Amino acid sequence: MLLEVKDVTKSFFSEGKRILALKDISFSVDEDEFLAIVGPSGCGKSTILRIIAGLETPDKGQVLFHGQPVLSPTQKITMIFQQFGLLPWKTVLENVELPLEIFGVEEKERRKIALSFIKKVGLSGFENSYPHELSGGMKQRVGIARALALQPEILLMDEPFSNLDALTAEILREEILEIWRDKNNVTNTFIMVTHLIEEAVYMADRVIVFSPRPGRIIGDIKINLPRPRKEYQRHPEFFKACDKIRGLIMKSTELTNKLMLR
Amino acid sequence: MKIYYELVLAFLLISLTFAFIMFYFKNPEIQNLPYYTFRTLLRITLTYFISLAFGLVFGILAGTNKTASKILVPIFDIAQSVPILGYFPAAVLFLIALFHGSEIGLELAAIFLLFTSMEWAIFFGVVGAIKNIPSNVVEAAKVFGLKGFAYIKHVIIPAIIPALIVASTLAWGDGWFFMIASEYISYGGKTYALPGLGSYLAKAAYEYGDLNLALALLALITFIVIVINHFTWHKLTEKASVLGYKPIFKFPSPEKIVSKRMHFHLSKFYFRHNLLPSIRIEKYTRVQKLITLALIVVLISSFLFFFYQTIPSLETIKQAILIPEIYKLPIYILLTLVRLTLAFLISLAIALVMGFLAAENKIFARIFFPLYDIGQSVPILALFPIVFVYLSKFFGGYFGLELTAIIVLVADMIWYMFLNIVGALKSMPRETMEVAKLFGLKGIKKIKHIVLPSIIPAIVTGSILSWATGWNTIIFAEYMPYEKEVLSLPGLGSFLDRVAYEQGNTILLIFLLLIISSIVIFMEKFIWKKLIEKCEKYESIEV
Repeated sequence: MLLEVKDVTKSFFSEGKRILALKDISFSVDEDEFLAIVGPSGCGKSTILRIIAGLETPDKGQVLFHGQPVLSPTQKITMIFQQFGLLPWKTVLENVELPLEIFGVEEKERRKIALSFIKKVGLSGFENSYPHELSGGMKQRVGIARALALQPEILLMDEPFSNLDALTAEILREEILEIWRDKNNVTNTFIMVTHLIEEAVYMADRVIVFSPRPGRIIGDIKINLPRPRKEYQRHPEFFKACDKIRGLIMKSTELTNKLMLR
Repeated sequence: MKIYYELVLAFLLISLTFAFIMFYFKNPEIQNLPYYTFRTLLRITLTYFISLAFGLVFGILAGTNKTASKILVPIFDIAQSVPILGYFPAAVLFLIALFHGSEIGLELAAIFLLFTSMEWAIFFGVVGAIKNIPSNVVEAAKVFGLKGFAYIKHVIIPAIIPALIVASTLAWGDGWFFMIASEYISYGGKTYALPGLGSYLAKAAYEYGDLNLALALLALITFIVIVINHFTWHKLTEKASVLGYKPIFKFPSPEKIVSKRMHFHLSKFYFRHNLLPSIRIEKYTRVQKLITLALIVVLISSFLFFFYQTIPSLETIKQAILIPEIYKLPIYILLTLVRLTLAFLISLAIALVMGFLAAENKIFARIFFPLYDIGQSVPILALFPIVFVYLSKFFGGYFGLELTAIIVLVADMIWYMFLNIVGALKSMPRETMEVAKLFGLKGIKKIKHIVLPSIIPAIVTGSILSWATGWNTIIFAEYMPYEKEVLSLPGLGSFLDRVAYEQGNTILLIFLLLIISSIVIFMEKFIWKKLIEKCEKYESIEV
């Protein structure tokens, strides 16, 4: 077991009121696994990702990585962002190099690593461009290169395709899957948060379903469709898996709405 | 109901303050205090409504009519690039001549000065808000046949109300800022004081030498400003946001900001830099430039014609400009620029430290924000006599004046920088902060790679604003009517004042005004614009 989330509860304060975001979340992730977390907006799925990354600390419970609690961000678990999270004042190369510099990689070495990962995501020739000169898809590729350059064991993705047009998103999904399948790559455990059920079923080995706020796990579904799944996108099994997840979310949303109305 | 209690309480407090000051101080003019307050309030209110009417009419005209916009926007742009106090000597000269030295001329000159300080924010606010109406709303209005007055009533007015409130707050504050400069004027070797709080404060400091009274008056003025702000602009701002108006500018969400009052102040600042410079630092077409140039020539010639009853010949102009002192002009310019730069650097350094502390630590924020709240309600120019009288005791007149000028400049510039920096720090996207944390950036590295680059645009806009206000303060600060004599620091500001008030040399005055506006425009074009372009290279972070 690579990663274990144990009884995590988290609440926030907004305008003096305490809002419970996550309640008793427990699950584990194995090496080589592609896990997707799905849920309606505001269910705390991004929060759990941030807790795994060490960006937030849970009120209760803990996250164990190789059996050790995650207390702050490490090089071994890294993340790509919904809005890409690039520093606008740095070029592509500088953006990829910065984390390497911070984690103490020698200048020559980090240049080499950065360039190889920029090449890997197909951005050769754009090393000296600024983020605003790039399209959305290219920006997210920089985000991917920056994360992979650290050679982490776990890659976290926070709705990584939701800010891209549909076609670009489709292409990038394939690229992510390719990176995940690549056996030469150190990074082989992926955790993705999304609100698109089809996306989750298409990409993941396993889908964890969250209820509306406060987020609880209401489903943990294995997706046994063969890979590559391009041919299976119209397969009845594919839709069956999607419908199952959709049903779970609808049921819990209705329940919540009824409770709220009362 | 709450507001009535607040009103009653405020009324009681103000009455008590008046009663206290009037009984405690034995000044021969003290019984006039309510009258002076009334006159100052009347003057500022009247001018505000004139500016509002003017700004609405011309702003709506420029915002809806392309031809009008082509003519009006460059004119207003050039007019506002001259430091407001630069107009004042010209206005005093002109209006005193017009009314043969009676008080009406002075009163009109004061109103004119206040008007020039209030007008720009309202005009550019209206134009900017109209330009910011989403095109789908404009198209929908057209499709449903809204035209003319109906269009103004149902689309334009509701759309510009939030901007108008913010602009009014700014204009109102500017009015108080220039209160003392407009009420206490030295002209032709004599000092004129219009009845008002500003002139009374100046008299208390310079003529009566009663510093305690001056301080009490300053506190009273600040108190009045805070109370009026609270019951007018604060309430209106709240109401406007309750009505569901979206801010017309990128704006950090209220919960990120410490308090409602902070929100109020920040909205003013966001307005000033996101809206005003975007319209102002616009590129003009060749036609616009020609029209503006022609208008300036017409204006200056008619001005000169008024004084000389004939268009002055080249020879007259030459004689007027080439007075012996003119050869010192480069040194004067240099000295004034040194003063401004020095004050600017000091404010930038202090504001940066304060900004970082306030953004990093809530305790500092709790200390700085109330300080800011009061600090920015004090009409800064009114601080001048008090600081000067204190400092001149220790350092003598000349050096005291030099120090006062710099201190008052810093007190004036620093708030623009501080709030700008804090605003930028507070509105940094969450993702950027997370990137810093995820990749382990801390301390100096965090400041260097993340924090400083993301606030540079705010520093640039803060600098533009603080220089703009700095020019006004320096013109006021270099020339000081004090105890029957006039103290002056060598510099562009004092030269301008002397040329106007002592020599009455209109042609040279216009020449100097042109020089000042050239410097301002030059700096805008070659420093600020370049810096803005540089910031645009990496644009804004998508929020």
